[in-house]
Amino acid sequence: MLPASPEPAAPVIRLDQVSKRYPGGHEALSQLSFELGAGEMAFVTGHSGAGKSTLLKLLGLLERPSHGAVMVGGVNLGGVRRRGIPRLRRQVGMVFQDHRLLMDRSVFANVELPLVVAGVPPAERGKRVRAALEKVGLLAHEKKSPPALSAGEQQRVGIARAIVGKPPLLIADEPTGNLDPQLAVEIMGLFAEFQQVGTTVLVATHDLFLIKRMRKRVIVLDHGRLVDDVAAAEVV
Amino acid sequence: MSRRRTRRGDPVPAASPSARGRIATWRGQHAWSLHASVQRLAVHPIGTALTLTVMGFALALPLAFYLALGNLQRFGAALGESQAISVFLKPGLGAAAVAGLASDLRARADVAVVVTRTPQQGLAELSAMQGFGPGLAALTDNPLPYVLVVTPRAGPDAHAGQALVAALRALPAADRVQDNSAWRGRLDALLTLGRRVLLLLGALLALAALLVVGNSVRQDIQAHAEEIAVLQLVGASPGFVRRPYLYAGICYGFGSGVVAVALVLLLELALRGPVATLAAAWGGSLRFAGLAPALLLAVPFAAAVLGWLGARIAGARHLTAAEPY
Repeated sequence: MLPASPEPAAPVIRLDQVSKRYPGGHEALSQLSFELGAGEMAFVTGHSGAGKSTLLKLLGLLERPSHGAVMVGGVNLGGVRRRGIPRLRRQVGMVFQDHRLLMDRSVFANVELPLVVAGVPPAERGKRVRAALEKVGLLAHEKKSPPALSAGEQQRVGIARAIVGKPPLLIADEPTGNLDPQLAVEIMGLFAEFQQVGTTVLVATHDLFLIKRMRKRVIVLDHGRLVDDVAAAEVV
Repeated sequence: MSRRRTRRGDPVPAASPSARGRIATWRGQHAWSLHASVQRLAVHPIGTALTLTVMGFALALPLAFYLALGNLQRFGAALGESQAISVFLKPGLGAAAVAGLASDLRARADVAVVVTRTPQQGLAELSAMQGFGPGLAALTDNPLPYVLVVTPRAGPDAHAGQALVAALRALPAADRVQDNSAWRGRLDALLTLGRRVLLLLGALLALAALLVVGNSVRQDIQAHAEEIAVLQLVGASPGFVRRPYLYAGICYGFGSGVVAVALVLLLELALRGPVATLAAAWGGSLRFAGLAPALLLAVPFAAAVLGWLGARIAGARHLTAAEPY
């Protein structure tokens, strides 16, 4: 349970008048501003091309905004130089629709990757990888390779990899896009659990059924603009 | 534990890794990278073997040339002092006349040493050589002349040497004057050229080896584009992403150095017999010399440095291009 704090915590994500124009002139985001507080969970939704993926790419520093400021954990990403990018990415767990696992490595090795990269000692790595795999219910599958798993299990490996480094922010781009509704509900339940333990979670999805079911804050984009921001209590 | 500050100035919590912890971390990451690169080389044994062989040949070529040059040089040295001039005297000259002539020559300012070789010495030398013994035994008297071996005093210019040769030729008692220095000069010039060619060849083939490693590493990088992208997404530093490829370059280099040394040793083994036969035919004084063990030991390590460099160049080009954003 989160401690009730008299002062609102500093937002983990803060966008201020952010625009992103790709070479060729397509404007994926225009003057987007919103905040996401620590321990908050929100969905970003909108039709395809609304700018959901671009927004997540800005948060993981896979792209830079054309205008405006993106702040993550109090750090203005505009001031992060090339050398600082890896350090920032370790603070942001990323989950992708195609989960981006290494198919020639074991489940264990895939989940271990962020810890290797961050320089966590091997003994500690083993403990944390197993803890993450247990959380997503795949502890029994650590020696298998991803192709031996179902689509839902593969996505859960991707989630385990995103959370194994205990990042304060977890972002997911259409994590249930390839899953049937039952699996999708399970996956979303996992994200909600991470929010319960204090992780800030931002999930891009166009699955309205899921959004209604989860009852979390919803940020609606249309052609790169913020058209609606519905608080969790108002989701019906 | 003392509190440390990072470059940005924010205090690092007391639980920050100690020096020992950092070394363990460093070791762990390097072990991971080394394991990854060796695994990769092992996954494509034929490609790896081809790269090693091509690089090995490129490195073995200058080594073989160096081997040949070294032996040629020894061969030249074995043929006699560089500056000696042999004066074959007219037959029938008596020992006293020869001694007088020798002491006259010693008195010259441009002469350092004069050695007198009697016909008996010449005959003994000849009969010691292979194939001459029986024929010489059949001779009733010695047909060989006295020979004066004149070593010029090292002068500042070649002309002084030429003047001495001319003076010796003008001696009434001289039958024939053989100027070894001219022959030596030609050999020396050839060896100098050979050393220059060796340098150029070595540089060119080292460059070729560099390109071979670079190309192999480039292919490695392209084959692992997906893995590189994932590593970058989970926060791997450029150095971490690059490290397995540097290790692969070092492995390629070291392996090809071993191949090159093996090739040269095979070459030495193959040449030892024929060179010994050749030397025996020429008087038996020359023995074939292989490359120094220290040099052979150094080759794989130098090649490893070359491999590392090639991988670094390829990595700088292709990994930077692969960075997301």
